[in-house]
Amino acid sequence: MAERSLALQLDEAVQAMLVSLQPRPEEAPDRELAPLMRVAQALRELPRKEFRAALKSDLQRRGSMNDGTAAGAGAAAPARALHYQRPGLTSITPYIIVRGAAQFLEFLKAAFKGVEQMRMPTPDGLIMHAEVAVGNGAIEVSDGSDAYPAAPTAIHLYVDDADATYDKALQAGATSLYAPTDDHPSGDRWGAAKDQFGNLWYIATPKGWTPGPEGLRSVQPYLHLREAHKMIPFLEAAFGAEAMGVHKSSEGAVLHATIRIGNATLEIDEAHGEFQPMPCHLHVYVPDTDAVYAQALRAGATSIETPQDKPYGDRAAGVKDAWGNSWFIATYLGR
Amino acid sequence: MLVEAAQSDPAKFDALYELHFERVYAFIASRARDRATAEDLTSEVFHKALANLPRYEWRGVPFVAWLLRIAANAIADQFKRTAREFPSRDDPPEAPAGRDLQASELRAIEHRAQLFRQVRQLPEVQKQMVYERFVEQRSIREIAKRLGKTPGAIKQLQLRAVQNLRAQMERGHG
Repeated sequence: MAERSLALQLDEAVQAMLVSLQPRPEEAPDRELAPLMRVAQALRELPRKEFRAALKSDLQRRGSMNDGTAAGAGAAAPARALHYQRPGLTSITPYIIVRGAAQFLEFLKAAFKGVEQMRMPTPDGLIMHAEVAVGNGAIEVSDGSDAYPAAPTAIHLYVDDADATYDKALQAGATSLYAPTDDHPSGDRWGAAKDQFGNLWYIATPKGWTPGPEGLRSVQPYLHLREAHKMIPFLEAAFGAEAMGVHKSSEGAVLHATIRIGNATLEIDEAHGEFQPMPCHLHVYVPDTDAVYAQALRAGATSIETPQDKPYGDRAAGVKDAWGNSWFIATYLGR
Repeated sequence: MLVEAAQSDPAKFDALYELHFERVYAFIASRARDRATAEDLTSEVFHKALANLPRYEWRGVPFVAWLLRIAANAIADQFKRTAREFPSRDDPPEAPAGRDLQASELRAIEHRAQLFRQVRQLPEVQKQMVYERFVEQRSIREIAKRLGKTPGAIKQLQLRAVQNLRAQMERGHG
């Protein structure tokens, strides 16, 4: 069939829209496609049902409680925890600890068009915490310390043009592992580079949408693990994660799996060849930090930090999994 | 009038909320940088409206315009806060605080709000599809798994839902 069905055309355009990538140009676009995409574009801003209902009941409580006479106060606090993620972050954000965080931020900007959103220096000029937006995702950064030594991380980065981004990464100081190729098993156009801080960057452009993970974020942590198959039940039990696609070898080794937590995903595979375990730090926003912290311990994690209200407005805790990865669990409590 | 009823009994604010939620959210969402901010600001607007309701007087300004003015001010305040926190941001949202909205802006808000209301009228399975795909941003494969259908069927369902909404919107304007 020369022309693809309208359902397929619409889905590709919607998928591109949702992940903020340029859609592949349609060779024979259906006349209906453009007006339908206008509707689809507007649906991106559709309010969550849960938010609508939660705000309504919050207002009802307030209306019946104060009789509306608190007008002068004007200080009615917005409903707390109607959403639980800090603005600008998703459910999973890699927290990359490096030596030379300031230079690393420059690398992210030069190589991946990173936009620095926040930088908190330490008194001695290092970076305590920084946030960089990359595509529709984010990366958190800080300088290593004795308590939190540098931990290079592997990141799967989805971009519009893998070749151009790969070239930029090399210009910014990364070294090539392999140039983008169409022969990657994922079906995506895929190249790999290692930056001067030891992080691995799998730079990919999705092709045809079907082979790669869908609903994807620009930034996805990629964990190479020993006995990777055991990570899936751990993440399900600890975070209520959902395995979206698990490809195993005939021996049962995980060749690739995409795991969803909330509105973001990470990827895992069995460590192999030069892609060996790199225990890293991950920042995970969840609706209830205390509950997830308890679940994670029950699932076999060990505690780094018990749940606490932080001065920056999160309730946060920390655990370490059996593979040595640290999970910073957080719930945004509002301003 | 709903406004007067709510002024004398705040418990009746519900009806105003039901009538105007989509308008306020549509206005804010088109200007906020992300969903969390849109929700924060929408929440702030309705809380302020409830608290200040006794002060609202009909002086030729419809209630919805009063709400949208609160919203515009909230957006402007939020932008100022963000600009202080993230001075590198270069995409300030349009925040028309201090002036009334143009008729074309009001039409656009009304149109968007109507679409949001139409979603709630869709057949249940189409509605679920729309929320999972566009709000939760789930993949076709995930939705297929959750709804017990094939990915192909989900793509057809997505097409039908969007076509349905487009047709409803055209009828609404006809």
